[in-house]
Amino acid sequence: MPPTIQACRECGGGAPIDAHFCPQCSKILSLGQHGDYFAFLGLPRRLMLDAADLEQRFRMLSRQFHPDFFYNAAPAERRASLERSSYLNDAYRTLKQPVSRIEYLLQLEGAAARTPQEQSRQVPPALLEEVFALNEELDEIRGQRAAGAAARVLAPRLERARQPIERRRDEHERQLAALSAEWDALLDRAAAPAARRPVLDALRECMLERNYIRNLLAGIERELGD
Amino acid sequence: MAYSSKVIDHYENPRNVGSLPKDDAHVGTGLVGAPECGDVMKLQVKVNPETGVIDDAKFKTFGCGSAIASSSLATEWLKGKTVEQALAIKNTDIVSELSLPPVKIHCSVLAEDAIKAAIADYRKKQQAAEAPAAAQPMI
Repeated sequence: MPPTIQACRECGGGAPIDAHFCPQCSKILSLGQHGDYFAFLGLPRRLMLDAADLEQRFRMLSRQFHPDFFYNAAPAERRASLERSSYLNDAYRTLKQPVSRIEYLLQLEGAAARTPQEQSRQVPPALLEEVFALNEELDEIRGQRAAGAAARVLAPRLERARQPIERRRDEHERQLAALSAEWDALLDRAAAPAARRPVLDALRECMLERNYIRNLLAGIERELGD
Repeated sequence: MAYSSKVIDHYENPRNVGSLPKDDAHVGTGLVGAPECGDVMKLQVKVNPETGVIDDAKFKTFGCGSAIASSSLATEWLKGKTVEQALAIKNTDIVSELSLPPVKIHCSVLAEDAIKAAIADYRKKQQAAEAPAAAQPMI
């Protein structure tokens, strides 16, 4: 079990693990043991965050921790303000983007691959086949261009290559959104970890194809742009 | 980040790029990918049925310079080795030969995985081909 309380450096009193200031002496707490980015911002581990609410929380804490307010404070307080400010920035940056938010959640929930070997073995063979074939098609188009083929001849072929990838990307985004909503619903009704596991696994698998789709589309954009 | 001269050499003059007939009983194909960077690597070996030695090896990699260099080097090493010797190639051998920096170690892991996948595919084909023959004396 992770700890649920922390001790205040100044007065020795106990404070909830995710408090930022001591409830007894109101001094800023050192950043020692604490929860995660979600808890730090006072949020449940939901994936569909309200961007405006997140920003408001960030700004409020940012003001409270600001090192300028601790300019004349004791060294331990100055350090605590710096540490909390820096952790807050990391938390905000990670949670602001839906994709890094999902990656972070997968890490937190122990559902992310730990080694590159593990990760590469998780890619479905059918996806690799498809990605390889599309890459070969792009390679061939590049070869034709190098051999002097006119852009007006190649452009339709590039367009044809782009369609299945764009369909895949749209499907990928739909799937990520649906799984995020599913995760939130489970969380909202406090579903048991075993019931949440399949959604995390599906999210992880969905994330595996993301970079392939991005690279393929970037390759096509490069060819079209030249 | 600076690539070593060996990586650059393999990248600019990749050895054994291409493909072997996938349906040939003596050809093993490994297709692997690194989802964190979107790389995909295909590596194939052709095994001589008499000697059990790898006669030919080909690769095609869509990825960064280190991934291309790792697979290019792997095909060079594979030629002339037996299947067992091939399985002994470790990603760390590739790392030291190419002086890969820590952030590129996963490229060598990918190459080792590709070798293992190609040989596993070859063995599967062999077993499938031998199974009926082995079953014959039972009749």
